[in-house]
Amino acid sequence: MMMMLPLANALPESSGDGYVAAAYIVFFVLLLIYVAIMALRLSHTERDLRDLQARSGAEPSPPAGQTPREGDAGASPHAEPHEQTLEREPV
Amino acid sequence: MGIALGLVFFYAPIELEEGLLQKIFYLHVPLAIVSLCGFIIGGIMAIAHLRTRDRRWDLRSYVAIHMSLIFGVAVLLTGSIWARGSWGHWWVWSEPTLVSYLIVFLLYATYQPLRFAIEDPERQARYASVFAIVAGAFVPLNFLAVRLSTAYLHPRVLGSSANLPGSMRFTFLVSLVAIALLFATLCSYELTAKRTRMLLRSRSRILGFQ
Repeated sequence: MMMMLPLANALPESSGDGYVAAAYIVFFVLLLIYVAIMALRLSHTERDLRDLQARSGAEPSPPAGQTPREGDAGASPHAEPHEQTLEREPV
Repeated sequence: MGIALGLVFFYAPIELEEGLLQKIFYLHVPLAIVSLCGFIIGGIMAIAHLRTRDRRWDLRSYVAIHMSLIFGVAVLLTGSIWARGSWGHWWVWSEPTLVSYLIVFLLYATYQPLRFAIEDPERQARYASVFAIVAGAFVPLNFLAVRLSTAYLHPRVLGSSANLPGSMRFTFLVSLVAIALLFATLCSYELTAKRTRMLLRSRSRILGFQ
């Protein structure tokens, strides 16, 4: 948005076309709204992750190379455990 | 994106007929092209999903369509602003390019309600893929139909009778690349966020917290 201000000032006065500035500003505002929504969703994800970490804090995590827990077994024996569980998750 | 904006406002010459208003062209047209390509890419990824049954393709298809819809909103808004400045109307129903794009946009607007109306993840992915393929095939057909129509009110600048000067063409191509890169970056961002949330949900379920 800050980048748009000098551009808006650079527009010739005589053209009388706020339309150009409006079109570019609308696009950047839309982009900004999208980024803000994504930031909000990421903050929710971070909060959920922290919550999950806190709740599972008492449980020791399995050492590297050990068989994953129940529920990690999935469709393909070659896929990584988290990919196998994602197969059953809705988008 | 910065380079593209610099070229648009400080390098590309001002068009004689439309004047400064023509600068919207460097935003509106690349957005439209990238969004339509995004819809087609979504269809191609849906084909890959149905062929391989790999859910990652379905996720990529979903993200491509989702992002194309957002770009589609920008296309409609910038197009309306351009139409208002150029033709004096926000919308012209007799213009086939506008109406055909709106039809494609509204068609894809039904993608998400259709998708999320189905609870079973497997069926959801399958039905969404079928929709994405059918709608993705409709996009180039729709484009061709508009090209073949006789009413050429909408400016044609990239056809066989291309009359863009070199500097304008160069600026347009840079803008197109910039918008395409923006699309790819946002898709990657969205895809990573989606996968992280799905992983988090699956971990919560495994640990019995859901």
